[in-house]
Amino acid sequence: MRYNEKELQALSRQPAELAAELGMRGPKKGSVLKRRLVKLVANFLFYFRTDEAEPVGALLLERCRVAREEPGGFSISFVEDPERKYHFECCSEEQCLEWMEALRRASYEFMRRSLIFYRNEIQKMTGKDPLEQFGISEEARFQLSSLKA
Amino acid sequence: MKLNKRSVAHYALSDSPADHTGFLRTWGGPGTPPTPSGTGRRCWFVLKGNLLFSFESREGRAPLSLVVLEGCTVELAEAPVPEEFAFAIRFDAPGVRPHLLAADGPAAQEAWVKVLSRASFGYMRLVVRELESQLQDARRSLALHRRSSWKAQAPDHWSPGLENGHSLSRDCSPVGLVEEEGSRPAGRSLAERELQGPASLLLGRGQSPVSPETSCFSTLHDWYGQEIMKLRQGWQQRARWSQRECEDQDRA
Repeated sequence: MRYNEKELQALSRQPAELAAELGMRGPKKGSVLKRRLVKLVANFLFYFRTDEAEPVGALLLERCRVAREEPGGFSISFVEDPERKYHFECCSEEQCLEWMEALRRASYEFMRRSLIFYRNEIQKMTGKDPLEQFGISEEARFQLSSLKA
Repeated sequence: MKLNKRSVAHYALSDSPADHTGFLRTWGGPGTPPTPSGTGRRCWFVLKGNLLFSFESREGRAPLSLVVLEGCTVELAEAPVPEEFAFAIRFDAPGVRPHLLAADGPAAQEAWVKVLSRASFGYMRLVVRELESQLQDARRSLALHRRSSWKAQAPDHWSPGLENGHSLSRDCSPVGLVEEEGSRPAGRSLAERELQGPASLLLGRGQSPVSPETSCFSTLHDWYGQEIMKLRQGWQQRARWSQRECEDQDRA
């Protein structure tokens, strides 16, 4: 699968929803904990060496699971291979919870669900479809049926 | 740079719904040098969220390419592009060539441009936030409707975000009605405090609605065009109302 690294690098330079230096350990056996600057931008988690401008890597945060890992950390794994975990270590309990919450909400699929939730609530209260005013009420991604999966 | 490609490919093929699909001809972009004949390669394209995948065929099981639709603009492509119904995805980043694509006809071209230009995470977030605030307004006006007269609603009808060039309503407005909260339309702080919906914690980071992910001008223009028309109508009504108030005061 081809993709242009420069496009992803440009995205990694966008302002972050959340950014911090965390300990990070990859899913490979024998991986050791390394200090990384971790940046959440849209539905991507970028990680950088602390002295470099370009990211070492990126994780697309769709269909992922964020779990608490003791002590003082969390992990990200993906549904197709839940045993393969990216581990992160935080400085405090508070920071850990903040990251887990932000990551849980960082997927496009989460936003889609939120949007459909609000659309239905508004429709129930006012009898009007709020998306009509934006001319996007017919778009596939905003339909209830798109939530079957 | 590493990417969790296996998960990305898995997402591309997952049973979650595609936002748009169809055949497009492609040339330019990474890995596809322009052919002398100028005829693009015909591939099956799948848009999922803010990710545009291409496949060899409709039945293809491995994505050929991925474009992340963030920080880009989508526009109709004109000459010297040798194909009809072409459009380009352009990135505002140094050394990044635009992705040139062509649809089979004008309707497909229009549909693709529309859906791609609105595919960013930032756009989605903007819509979610707008609806969140509308829901809050609807809940509040329902509550007010139940317990008090229209006068009690007046403060809520003052939009804090309309300072620019709209001094008339402020000059005449009673002190305290115009809140200085920032650039969001009415009811933001309340919405942030009270709303228990699934996305409410995304708010409150003090972000401007013009987030960098939505820097695509046509998207913003579309979006704010609608919003501004609505706000403007409201403002004009209020302006008329305040004008009358001021005149009444002058006479008094």
